[in-house]
Amino acid sequence: MKSFEYTIKDELGIHARPAGLLAKEAKKYSSVCMIEKGGKSVKLSQLMMLMSLGAKQGDLVKVTAEGEDEDTAIAELEKFFNENL
Amino acid sequence: MKDKIFSVLQRIGRSFMLPIAILPVAGLLLGIGSSFTNATTIETYGLTGILGDGTILHSLLMIMNKVGSAVFDNLPLIFAVGVAIGMAKKEKEVSALSAVIAYFVMNTAISAMLINNGQILENGEIAESVLEGTITSVCGIQSLQMGVFGGIIVGLGVAALHNRFYRIQLPNALSFFGGTRFVPIISTIVYMFVGILMYFVWPAVQNGIYALGGLVTGSGYAGTLVFGLIKRALIPFGLHHVFYMPFWQTAVGGTMEVAGQIVQGGQNIFFAQLADSANIAHFSADATRYFSGEFIFMIFGLPGAALAMYQCAKPEKKKAAGGLLLSAALACMATGITEPLEFSFLFVAPALFVVQVILAGSAYMIAHMLNIAVGLTFSGGFLDFFLFGILQGNEKTSWIRVIPVGIVYFFLYYFIFKFMIRKFDFKTPGREEDDAETKLYTKADVNARKAAAGQEQISAGEDSVSEAITRGLGGKKNISDVDCCATRLRCTVHDAARINDSILKATGASGVVHKGNGVQVIYGPNVTVIKSNLEDYLEKAPDTYAEAEEAEETKQEEVKNTDTEKKVTRRIVISSPITGTAADLGTAPDEAFAQRMMGDGAVVTPEEACVCAPEDGEVAFVFDTKHAIGYLTDSGVSLLIHVGIDTVKLNGEGFEVLVENGQKVKKGQPMLKLDLEYLKANAPSLASPILCTELEDNQRIRLLKEGPVKAGEPLFEVEVLNQD
Repeated sequence: MKSFEYTIKDELGIHARPAGLLAKEAKKYSSVCMIEKGGKSVKLSQLMMLMSLGAKQGDLVKVTAEGEDEDTAIAELEKFFNENL
Repeated sequence: MKDKIFSVLQRIGRSFMLPIAILPVAGLLLGIGSSFTNATTIETYGLTGILGDGTILHSLLMIMNKVGSAVFDNLPLIFAVGVAIGMAKKEKEVSALSAVIAYFVMNTAISAMLINNGQILENGEIAESVLEGTITSVCGIQSLQMGVFGGIIVGLGVAALHNRFYRIQLPNALSFFGGTRFVPIISTIVYMFVGILMYFVWPAVQNGIYALGGLVTGSGYAGTLVFGLIKRALIPFGLHHVFYMPFWQTAVGGTMEVAGQIVQGGQNIFFAQLADSANIAHFSADATRYFSGEFIFMIFGLPGAALAMYQCAKPEKKKAAGGLLLSAALACMATGITEPLEFSFLFVAPALFVVQVILAGSAYMIAHMLNIAVGLTFSGGFLDFFLFGILQGNEKTSWIRVIPVGIVYFFLYYFIFKFMIRKFDFKTPGREEDDAETKLYTKADVNARKAAAGQEQISAGEDSVSEAITRGLGGKKNISDVDCCATRLRCTVHDAARINDSILKATGASGVVHKGNGVQVIYGPNVTVIKSNLEDYLEKAPDTYAEAEEAEETKQEEVKNTDTEKKVTRRIVISSPITGTAADLGTAPDEAFAQRMMGDGAVVTPEEACVCAPEDGEVAFVFDTKHAIGYLTDSGVSLLIHVGIDTVKLNGEGFEVLVENGQKVKKGQPMLKLDLEYLKANAPSLASPILCTELEDNQRIRLLKEGPVKAGEPLFEVEVLNQD
């Protein structure tokens, strides 16, 4: 299992549009990707759950990936967070 | 105006189809019954032992004979009911009952008038002053002889009353008699007066009809030729039923005394003579002139044309063209249904149709001249030829003369068609350019399609043919009503410009005829099945127009094409949470939504300030910025209701949240209150995507509503497809 931690910088947080992009990104990989905030952990690929986290600017989230392509997945996801969130 | 008349005539024509459909059966019973009870026939074939008087078979055949006659004797009533059913828009059964009542009421009123005025004496006998044959017994009521016209007057009038009143609302005290129950009531009252009126009007009409009939009858062979030409030329418009019916069924086609009864109409005279054939030396060719010629070109001529077309087909397409032409020719020869064959060349080579009209029209005259008197029930196929020609014997029908004329006709058709097709390079079946889209649809194609559609229907009501027809007709919203005759689907649409012929043709149609808002799609004899399927489909289909933008249509088509092959196993309807204007998600003024990155669904631009629960379910979460709600329906669909575009930036301004995370809500319960003024002023757009975020690969969205939508009305549905 691979993981990274990230503090949301985007002023609007993970709202609908970035959540959509993120879920789409997570679906590319066969690994199970999770995101955790404040003790609540949900699948990255499930848009609804992802949005329900309500991650906002300044929130610390932990992203994990587990599976065959976990290395690529975690690298790409980290890149996505850095660029978009 | 002209188009409107066409559309009404078309509906009248197709409403004749139901009563006409009984004629072949009645004809069979009468034909078989009278043929094998005919003493001469029995003796000639030495069958006295089996069929002679007193045998069981003889009794049975006599019963068949009477039963068949009963249908012909009561055709006016059958037409009254049939036309009323055909012309009624909804609740057709009520119009049927009303027509029966109105028919009896009208004739009884006439009868009472006749008694009041002394034309019928108190002992039930007809006064001597009355013109022979103008008063007759109608279902046991002595009334004016109105023939099938009487039935049609009742059918059309009752249907008009029905369409006008079947939804009438009466004051509370009388509400029991409202709605459809009012239709028989008003029909009774109206037709009592119609009956009284007819007493005064009909004798004049009768004189007019007799005069017209006399004119046609008196014009001799030329009249027959004109009749034949007009009848054949009307085929493409589907109006031939309206035209020939009076000649077959009423005094327009002549009157004759048969077995002491005055009989009106060519077909009626033939069958009356048939029932009384023991006393008839030769059936009247003056009566059969309106149809005897059909055997010549239906059994012999048109098949010759089919052979010519087959031989002219390109070698590599011969097999496919042959399949089509052979089945069409067989249908034509056996049952006399010519449309499949005629339409195979009518649209691609109208000049050939002109040839067909002239040849066929003159066949009526030739048959008349040769004193050929072979009757028919519906059309001039071999079945009728056998029953009403061969079986009746050459002495009575001169059927043998059909054969040499037929052989001549076969070659005439064959050589003229072959010559013209080659000379003018007509694109008859099997001669299309290779790149042209005019694919040849053989029956097998259509059947395969239908089989597939049928299977789908069993599972979930998905029917790709009907869907395509609906699309070709411009969407359900564009379709006013649907009906069919022997070979074509007859529809009335609101806007003829929305019709797409190529989609219609791709559903297996051999041609499409437009006239104003009337459309006829020609399929062939299996059209009744297509019509029923289409009606079933339309019950469930979204009430929208088909998309106008062709490009978009095809784009979506490509994407969805693989899916349409699969069966829809479940449909989950999602209603609109907002009152406003609904549109395709692709129209959202935001790339991410429009490209369906977040999921698929629809856009509603709110006009009222409330966002309600679309279905029973649970609020999954409300964004802290209040602009969007995550929602999970009890049917298991995850929805995102996102009010406006870029409203996340408003930080909750303009929204009031009425529910909390995890709350169970019922459909229609308010969830958000919007400050529409504020949002309009501060958000880039109010267009609100409502979409399913977690669609599986086997799920797809179908939009059910475009344009104005109320909260709680179906917005779109999730179709769950079978995965194999």
